[in-house]
Amino acid sequence: MMTRSFTQRLQRDWSLNKWKYLMILPVLIYLALFSYKPMYGLIIAFKDFKITRGIMGSSWADPWYKWFANFVTDPYFPRVIKNTFLLSGLTILFGFPAPIILALLINEVRNKSFKRTVQTITYMPYFISLVVLCAMIKVFSMQDGLFSQIANSFGGASQNYLANPRYFRVIYVLSDIWQRVGWDSIIYLAALSAIDQEQYEAAKVDGANRFKQMIYITLPGLLPTIMILFILRMGSILNVGYEKILLLYNATTYDVADVISTYTYRLSFPTSGSPMYSKSTAIGLFNTLINIVFLLLTNAISKKTTDSGLF
Amino acid sequence: MRTQFLKPKFLKLTGGLMAAAMLLAGCGMQTATDSGGTSGVGKDTNAGEQTAGGNGAGKENTDGEAGQEGETAIGSISYPLNSDKIISWYAEGGLNPHEKFVDASESPFHVGLSEQLGVDIEWVFPTTGANGGTFTTTLLADPGSLPNIMQVYWMNNANQYLTDEIIWDLTDYIQEYAPDYYAWLQSNPTYDRAMKTDAGQYYAFGFFREDGGWNDSYLGPVVRQDWLEECGLEIPTTISEFENVIKVFNEKYGATFNASNTRYREQGLAGAFGSNGNYALNNGWYVEDGKVGLSQAEEGWHAHVSWQNKLWEAGLMDQDILTEDDTTIKDKIHNDKCGISITSMGQMNNWNLEREASGKDPVWIGIPNPTSDDGEIFSIFGGPGIGIHTVVITTTADEETMKLCLQMLNYAYTEEGSLYWNYGKEGVSWEYDAEGVPAFTALVTEDTDTDPMTKYNGLTWGACGIQATNLLYLKNSRAAIEANDTWYYVYPDDEAKNLAVTSEWKWPVGVTFTTEEADELDEIAQNLPTFVEESYAAFLTGSKDIDDDTVWNQYISDLESYSLSRILEIRQDCYDRYLAR
Repeated sequence: MMTRSFTQRLQRDWSLNKWKYLMILPVLIYLALFSYKPMYGLIIAFKDFKITRGIMGSSWADPWYKWFANFVTDPYFPRVIKNTFLLSGLTILFGFPAPIILALLINEVRNKSFKRTVQTITYMPYFISLVVLCAMIKVFSMQDGLFSQIANSFGGASQNYLANPRYFRVIYVLSDIWQRVGWDSIIYLAALSAIDQEQYEAAKVDGANRFKQMIYITLPGLLPTIMILFILRMGSILNVGYEKILLLYNATTYDVADVISTYTYRLSFPTSGSPMYSKSTAIGLFNTLINIVFLLLTNAISKKTTDSGLF
Repeated sequence: MRTQFLKPKFLKLTGGLMAAAMLLAGCGMQTATDSGGTSGVGKDTNAGEQTAGGNGAGKENTDGEAGQEGETAIGSISYPLNSDKIISWYAEGGLNPHEKFVDASESPFHVGLSEQLGVDIEWVFPTTGANGGTFTTTLLADPGSLPNIMQVYWMNNANQYLTDEIIWDLTDYIQEYAPDYYAWLQSNPTYDRAMKTDAGQYYAFGFFREDGGWNDSYLGPVVRQDWLEECGLEIPTTISEFENVIKVFNEKYGATFNASNTRYREQGLAGAFGSNGNYALNNGWYVEDGKVGLSQAEEGWHAHVSWQNKLWEAGLMDQDILTEDDTTIKDKIHNDKCGISITSMGQMNNWNLEREASGKDPVWIGIPNPTSDDGEIFSIFGGPGIGIHTVVITTTADEETMKLCLQMLNYAYTEEGSLYWNYGKEGVSWEYDAEGVPAFTALVTEDTDTDPMTKYNGLTWGACGIQATNLLYLKNSRAAIEANDTWYYVYPDDEAKNLAVTSEWKWPVGVTFTTEEADELDEIAQNLPTFVEESYAAFLTGSKDIDDDTVWNQYISDLESYSLSRILEIRQDCYDRYLAR
């Protein structure tokens, strides 16, 4: 066959597929405008950005890594990195299994109306606004608040729990579980209802008690869902719920509560002085970089163990 | 006695300064209106100086009083200006329509201002609930469409905005188009100095308190009078007596010393320790004998924090003090868990009102800021009566529009305009009382909404203008005003000494950093406030022992790693230039 030139092939392709190309055009425009064009703004991480001069008008940083270096040599750098990983890790460690356990327990309940009541009550906190939730936590943590009263009844002393660095992580993780556990369990409950009931009947015939049924039938049935959610969760390891930290931390707990995103927030919206656009953009880029590393890592592990990955 | 001291002073101020300003402004000059839309500016000037301007306004060469005396030539402007231009006017804070109104079109003040000025105003405010500063920043992202007039807080960075030509340099226009404002600035060298750059450029209209700083001391220590009497205690005047009151209240009622963190962070009781500033860095910068310093790096602060730590360890201070706000503290206040505190005159007033509402006596009174046991006091929470507000004209206004804006802003500093900005329209929201002093009508006094006067006036909180002391008298309760007197008049008989304690130690309002300095501070000074605040928290709770020399020395050397020396150097330069203006 005669080899065609590139232009010829292009013409042929166009005449065959032009409607398809036209159909994809809006999507391409959308992506270009809303996903790729804003990336242009990342340039300010390499500039001495002044908002009144605009992105092009501001001068280049000297050297180009000035703001990255400024962050890495920052006295707060080690602390925010450590806290980000710790808080995020603790939330995954304790917060991830909680809804699974709750779903398994709810699944074992036979009384339908009790089951519904428990479900409703546990997912209600999810609908409380974070600001209200944090206000509640603040009141509970006060020197004569709920937590102190509970401590008193066990012989402990009254104290402000949010003014004590030792309790910040506990409060953060526990309140997170309390708020999300019911909501997050819904997806597992849905997966549970898909497990074939005949398996349970067969197990009963074989003499398995209910605990054994849970271990050998329910859990394996849930495993694919658990794995998917776990990979998704690991992919956002650095996305700590910073709004909650902003609402809960104070000078006494900066040491254990300050994370990358709260630090960036303080730089971007300072109480005095001008916003540090360039530095906070640089930190944002740095943050993204770590997230990508984790995404690739989780993806690789997932590919190795389950033969399926994102790419 | 103290109230009596204030009254004549207040009268002196109105009678003196205002009259002087009016005189300088050459009140009563008639002006012509041109056909171009903007109002005419009548100019009484020496002929040789008639260079600026050029808006086609009717100009008259007259021998006005000012001219004859060899003073700077200034004219007067008549309102309304009758312009067909629409001016956009942004206010970051302090000028929002009352919460009961959907927008400015329902607000008598905003609608009325347009009428008084004879110019249509398109108001812009931060979205409800948004942080004002952030909203301003968002506007700045598009410098080409900024509102014509912006009420912001840009003093320290004024040079940047002038260099980038975001705002107008008003120097060449201010005398002609804002004569009353210019006269006001000339009436007091401090005002004039605060409102220009080091290079002498005028760029903003400011907020001034007629009382010269009295109301800047709007917060201070308060105590429950009934408990004092029950315990047979006198009003404490020294820090030891103050501590004793805390102790006695703790033994007798189980109460502790407590304050909302916004009220406590700025100053605390620093004055008694020869210091200033508690854990808010901004109040820690001071000037003594021309030298700029940071109190949080010095011995006075050490003593102050060590004293607080002692209270904390002894259980005499409420552990919620760092997280308490004006709402949460009410639980302690109304349940007899706190008998001595630090708060604002407004909050104290609320506490008393809420007690009365539940059938109890109003027992909270303001007490003096305690001195050291030798009777010395370095500072109290206060200020010079000049706000950090800067009402600027942006370059989205062309030259003609800018001149119109100048005249609009000038209005607040005229006799008539000042009354409007302070009280609203005469005969509607206020009338002169029997003594010839403005008083609100039933429209305001019988309105049960929060701060009803803000529906009609613009100077309750702070804007371009001169806030009348009488307005504060009308707005606040008698007990609150007495408390303000108690706090402010540290030396009632010695005005110079009093000023030294209330405001002269402060890092002055109106200093301007050069653009290089501002850039460098952005780079090196961002973390210092956080570091000082969290060190304070550690010292207070005892997780770090402030009285351990190694700990303290470590803190001092850590301050160096946050570039303290360099920051002080920059601030010193900046202050020296400010003095040289």
